[in-house]
Amino acid sequence: MNSDISIVALSLQIALVATAVTLPVGMFVAWLLVRKQFRGKFVLDVFVSLPLALPPVVVGYALLWIVGTNGWIGQLSESLFGSTLAFTWIAAALAAAIVSLPLVVRSFAAALAGVDPRLEVAARGLGAGSIRTFLTVTLPLAYRGVIAGVLLGFVRSLSEFGATIIVAGNIPGRTQTLPSAIFTRISAGNTDDAWRLALVSVVLGVIALAVHNWLLKRTANGISSSNGGFR
Amino acid sequence: MISFDIQLNHPDFSLSAKGEFDDGITAVFGPSGAGKSSLLNCLAGSIKPSDGWVTLDGTTLYSGSNGIWVSSEKRRIGTVYQDGALFPHLNVRKNIEFGWKLLPEDQRRLDPLEIADLLGLTHLLDRAPNELSGGERQRVAIARALATSPALLLLDEPLASLDAARRGSILNYLKRVHAELNMPMIYVSHSISEVVSIASSAMLLRDGEVEGFDRPSALLLGAISTSDEVDSFDNILDGVIGDSTDYLTTVRIGEVDISTRHQNKNPGDRVVVSLGANKIILATDEPTNLSARNILRGSVSEIWSNTGKVFTEVDIGEKFIVELTENALSDLGIAVGQNVFLVFKSSSVEVYDA
Repeated sequence: MNSDISIVALSLQIALVATAVTLPVGMFVAWLLVRKQFRGKFVLDVFVSLPLALPPVVVGYALLWIVGTNGWIGQLSESLFGSTLAFTWIAAALAAAIVSLPLVVRSFAAALAGVDPRLEVAARGLGAGSIRTFLTVTLPLAYRGVIAGVLLGFVRSLSEFGATIIVAGNIPGRTQTLPSAIFTRISAGNTDDAWRLALVSVVLGVIALAVHNWLLKRTANGISSSNGGFR
Repeated sequence: MISFDIQLNHPDFSLSAKGEFDDGITAVFGPSGAGKSSLLNCLAGSIKPSDGWVTLDGTTLYSGSNGIWVSSEKRRIGTVYQDGALFPHLNVRKNIEFGWKLLPEDQRRLDPLEIADLLGLTHLLDRAPNELSGGERQRVAIARALATSPALLLLDEPLASLDAARRGSILNYLKRVHAELNMPMIYVSHSISEVVSIASSAMLLRDGEVEGFDRPSALLLGAISTSDEVDSFDNILDGVIGDSTDYLTTVRIGEVDISTRHQNKNPGDRVVVSLGANKIILATDEPTNLSARNILRGSVSEIWSNTGKVFTEVDIGEKFIVELTENALSDLGIAVGQNVFLVFKSSSVEVYDA
């Protein structure tokens, strides 16, 4: 039971850190894709979306190569901390972030596209710089979609298995997350223990998705038609 | 004073405009696609021209050759858009204060609450934008732009989405703002009636080129008599309600009294009067035994004649534009300086709240 709690805690920690990474990165990429015209936009779109189309195991393998002794992140962290990131919880968070990024970017892009760009032009004309415009106009108008995207990314991070097990392994107490613990218990024939953790996964997932859908529904019929968007 | 010489090159559109606008109300007029909004966006700084320069009150805002570019948030130019572009998540007060709050205190020349009062918005401050009528939204947009104490106010088709009653009212508010705050304005429109009513000079744009710059009536009526772009002109004038009988109400416009249908208003109420140029009959002799309640003596001050459509300006103390046909013009032998009578029915006059 104690190990169950520490597994859940580590999973939440990894998913939270992954979300903390995907939130700013995903927002910036979504903003580029929705609001900017530039060379290489298509390439950026494909690159960010690629994890959606690849088996997570392949993503994990590529990531292992980057954070391992031969990769530039691996060499950087080795020279800084004396070890690579491979088989640490940080690698697990990184894997979760990369795999969930396409979903986050897609949600954010939809949310940003729903904000009339003329409102941003108006804000600029009233003296707001681009960052202030984003924070005081764009974000408040897109925040439901943004929160929905964050939740979706968080759920995806919680359930990440394929990439995580390659790059972070399945070390109890260090990198063993909910999915990898369930995998271990099923492999060992501990079905009761596996079911218990599976149930925890279901509860966490249902809560997050319910909130996600509720927010999206409010976005769809809010803001412009009723008082929904008014503070 | 703003002056500019702008080139804007796009694959499918180009604009080349040079001008110098004084501190009055200047209209930029032209058919849709003429480049009016592009010019405005270049002045506001939301579009960067391909080449040229823009200066406002002696400060260079853009210079292609010197690589100067002042971004739109630093230009001190307020813009009012066609649909208002109010921030839907902020109430009226917060919309109006949005730009004002960003100003350093020593640059806050205008107080948001006084502006709200000037535009008749005081009772709406706690409303959300989606709880406002179209006219109210535009007034909030004007107040929001003014609260930034701009050196220049740009208005991009501000009345295009409003009905006739609200148009007259907003025009009146704009005139009041201009008079009380000495606010220079550039007013983009494709409505000649609006332009003639509000602007002291006008620039005519067509296909991305400047076709003329003159007094609005002189420029525009001459230009449109050749085209089908505008088929009617409305005289839009400020008036004050006078005496009423059971069926008629007198409205005083400047020094002239005209009869309108009975209005449920009190003597002294300010109104906006709209009278179609094609609703007025010209007579060279004073007509008698007519049912029309308005017969006003004046003299022809200008004639714009082209194939088919003719506009004349008749001075009866106030200037009225009258539309007639080429045949009528030649049959009656009407010429500039001639004394004529304007005849129109009281029911042809639309009266709106100012």
